[in-house]
Amino acid sequence: MNQFLQQLVNGLSIGSIYALMAVGYSLVYSIMNFSNFAHGSVIMLGAYFGFFALTLLGLPFALAFFVAASGTALFAVALERLAYKPLRDRKAPFLYFIITAMGASIFIDNSVIATIGPTPKTFPQASLPSFLRSGSVEIGSLNVGRVDIAMFVITAICLAALVLFIDKTKMGKAIQATAYNMKASALMGINPGFVIILVFAIGGALAGVAGVLYGMKYQVYPQMSSITMKSFIAAVFGGLGSLPGALLGSVLLALIETFVSGYVSTQLRDLFAFGILIAMLVIRPQGIMGKSMEDKA
Amino acid sequence: MRARFAICAVLVASLALVGCAGAKKTDTIKIGWLGPQTGDSALWGQAELATLQMMSEDYNKAGGIEVNGKKYQLQIVPYDTKGDSTESVNVAKRLTSQDKVVAVVGPQGSGEAIPIAPIMNDAKIPAVATTATNPKVTVTESGSVNPYMFRACFLDPYQGKVAAYFAYTTLAKRNAAIFMTIDDPYSTGLAEYFKASFEKSGGKVVATESYTSGEKDFRSPLTKIKAAKPDVIFIPAYYNDVALIAKQARDLGIKVLLLGGDGWPSENVIDLAGGPGGALEGCLFVNHLDMQGDLAKPMRDEYKAKYNKNAELNSYMAHDALIMVIDAIQRAKSFDGVKIKAALEATDLDGVTGHIKIGPTHDPVGKTAWLIKIVGSEMKLQEKYAAVD
Repeated sequence: MNQFLQQLVNGLSIGSIYALMAVGYSLVYSIMNFSNFAHGSVIMLGAYFGFFALTLLGLPFALAFFVAASGTALFAVALERLAYKPLRDRKAPFLYFIITAMGASIFIDNSVIATIGPTPKTFPQASLPSFLRSGSVEIGSLNVGRVDIAMFVITAICLAALVLFIDKTKMGKAIQATAYNMKASALMGINPGFVIILVFAIGGALAGVAGVLYGMKYQVYPQMSSITMKSFIAAVFGGLGSLPGALLGSVLLALIETFVSGYVSTQLRDLFAFGILIAMLVIRPQGIMGKSMEDKA
Repeated sequence: MRARFAICAVLVASLALVGCAGAKKTDTIKIGWLGPQTGDSALWGQAELATLQMMSEDYNKAGGIEVNGKKYQLQIVPYDTKGDSTESVNVAKRLTSQDKVVAVVGPQGSGEAIPIAPIMNDAKIPAVATTATNPKVTVTESGSVNPYMFRACFLDPYQGKVAAYFAYTTLAKRNAAIFMTIDDPYSTGLAEYFKASFEKSGGKVVATESYTSGEKDFRSPLTKIKAAKPDVIFIPAYYNDVALIAKQARDLGIKVLLLGGDGWPSENVIDLAGGPGGALEGCLFVNHLDMQGDLAKPMRDEYKAKYNKNAELNSYMAHDALIMVIDAIQRAKSFDGVKIKAALEATDLDGVTGHIKIGPTHDPVGKTAWLIKIVGSEMKLQEKYAAVD
């Protein structure tokens, strides 16, 4: 029983990271209908921004967080302007967007390897507030990492804020309308260019938060973006383009992974996780909560 | 999976250009090097190449290397393998057919070293691997020796035996758990040798868990290990994984000793595990040398002065591999691969990692294994083993 609860805690903590990352994929997909594979590299940059803001600039933690989130928001918007907008202007097929995104991702990752270097880094414990330092809280025989609790709370706050923003504000409504039908909403006076920038900025800011949290929990290293593939899969699982879907998909994927490796075998974990994903896509291609049937790539 | 081809091709091309610049063709010895300069294991490859470049500068400043009464300048021809076995084969082909090097230093990983054996054998150019500890590097599956493959390090069966002996006899541990990287032959091989030796001594392996390389969250398998209540956990993995595993194990309330192999030593493994007094405090690993000892001191100081960085394990191993090659060329009095190979087979010299005498399988025989303990920010020599049986 103890082991079951411990594995449940392990699974939920992984799920909350997946969720924060998956939301970024889903947001962009809901508007642009393509998977922004450069998102993972933006997350990685966020971790480095946060790391250097803390260590080189010596900023207080909350400010470093803010610097990382705004840095990645700006970067994501710049990426959209430089890499995706020219394609949009030429009405290029979606495949080109995906290839461009992959290219941008490889470019960013290798730029970091070439300039900062491949060595992994960790956030110096002394620079973190006490509730974020490594170590765990014992609840009965359960060990819950302090970072995990903080991540869970921060993820919940960010996602709640995002849902409120999209449901309650005018800009949020604009995003919803554009996601529903870009042409029609443009005819109603919603500037699609603005909505796209907005979506990249929000996705980028969340990537910054996710990067810093991920870096604190594990390490900061240039190949971080490869781990975000799992969160992309979670987004597909839950239904690309749907925010609650991204959340649900993330938690489910993480729990499946944790329990398979805890009770069956670690080697079979990915086999199970991806087997369920394939089965899901065969039976319900739009994912658990996805919108209409469109090609998901 | 990811095509980093274009960028790496540019890197390789620029390296080749750097390598060519300023070398006169007539009186140069070209020695190839291959290893990871990008990718996950880049840290070690970069440390190796930095060492070789430092050494070749030293040789050349001192007038060059004397072979058969004539002085030659040393030129290192480096190629990036990205830690990938396919890429390793490609660059080995390039070194042997295009660059026509007389010998090769590297690669560092067994996964990169094993597939290049047929290429070196065909080209009749010897290669001296640095830290490739898998038996199959020098001896094929069918038991025949790869004529042109050598190495400067001891082997995994030996390393596993030393770790098991230490855990059972010296530390009196009886219930071990093993946590390994399932897709890395280095890790699974070492785990297997540890298990065999530990069980032969009378110990019990109470849990064997694994993970896939690239993973960062180990808490699910570690929770299983915790439930098996081992008194020592053997982790044959690389330093950045080890640091994360140690941290997460401690977070889960696993307090037992962690034990490892030569994948552990790295300048920043202690920092990654939470600094002095962190998750790896008091833990032990088997190493190829005592990196803080007297034998390594001159090189350690020179490296630190030149690069303002601490030398890595691979720096010392690359040093010894290069002196093996140069020593063989000097004794062979020739640049012919067949003669260099014959001279390498008779290698008997002292390196910074101890005495190196090449045996019939092209591996160093009776090489010392060093047990190192992590104490604060130091890696202290705990015990030395010479050929335990």
